[in-house]
Amino acid sequence: MSEPRKQPVAPAAFSPEDMARRRRRNLALALVLAGLVVFFFVVTLVKTGPAILNRPL
Amino acid sequence: MSAAFDTRNDSVALTSTGEARDFFALLKPRVMSLVIVTALAGMATAPSSVHPVIALASLLAIAVGAGASGCLNMWYDADIDVLMTRTAKRPIPAGRVLPSEALAFGLTLSIGAVLVLGLVANILAAAMLAFTIFFYAVVYSMWLKRWTPQNIVIGGAAGAFPPMIGEAVVTGDLGLHSLVLFAIIFLWTPPHFWALALVKSADYARAGIPMMPNVAGPAATRRQIVLYSLVMAPVAVLPALMGFGGLAYLVVSVTTGLAMIALAIRVRRVTEGEAATKACYSLFAFSILYLFGLFAVLLVENGLGLMWALPKVMG
Repeated sequence: MSEPRKQPVAPAAFSPEDMARRRRRNLALALVLAGLVVFFFVVTLVKTGPAILNRPL
Repeated sequence: MSAAFDTRNDSVALTSTGEARDFFALLKPRVMSLVIVTALAGMATAPSSVHPVIALASLLAIAVGAGASGCLNMWYDADIDVLMTRTAKRPIPAGRVLPSEALAFGLTLSIGAVLVLGLVANILAAAMLAFTIFFYAVVYSMWLKRWTPQNIVIGGAAGAFPPMIGEAVVTGDLGLHSLVLFAIIFLWTPPHFWALALVKSADYARAGIPMMPNVAGPAATRRQIVLYSLVMAPVAVLPALMGFGGLAYLVVSVTTGLAMIALAIRVRRVTEGEAATKACYSLFAFSILYLFGLFAVLLVENGLGLMWALPKVMG
């Protein structure tokens, strides 16, 4: 017989320390996402080169 | 053991307390730094060049891909990491990151890194990165590591691919230069890891991993460390003979290669007590410096154009 499936449990409440940790993690994620926007912008400019301005309006 | 990782409990925690630094630790930053140096050397020694922004973007994708494979390795190995002193403090066994989070993080970064490298560089480089991640996360972590004492010998290929990916980024092809760099890292891996495995054999025994000292014994492992070092040191001189390493590389590769052999012989000779442990740690620590040193000199010579060229003997 297989083992009974384990039940996921949510924490009763987040402590202020947990919340602060979560906030720092979200800030780091926001910075990474902002970095990715700059990354794709610069790479697109370089890959496309001067032709980026040469497009039908 | 933490509640987050203890799957024997009746319940499983839904949240982790992981911070950004814990997720960064999942990427094995020290391994990533070696990947960056070796991939960059692969780019620098390639016979053509690429726009610096494309090189930097590709390097970032390669580093993230390598980190993602490290993350998947930590996800899969969490059950044995918790049993070993060296790895018990990693984010998953320590309970700071949930296994499901690590799996999602590793898979997302793997797919993202391969896609970005394909878009920024070329399909060959992206395919090689995908293969490297597969080789490390699946072939090494899930299969070789728990099955054979040759685990790190064959698995070492995963760590040796970055220079080839670097060359593929620049040329869209694979050449002899990066194959030589592959061979250097491939032959360097066994003496490097076995020096540590000799000291940590009790850890590996507890976790049931068939490392060479646990299977073939310390004496056979010590003999093989010397043999691999004797083959590796001359191979590491090849870049100078093939014309993509200059005078500085020749001097550094010969002197540090001889030092590697000397330290390996010391590991072979000193087999008892604290002195034996010290000999193993010395070889392990020096081997990291050795590989960084070789590739750093190649980078300076080829990347910065500071090469005192030698006559090409072969290749």
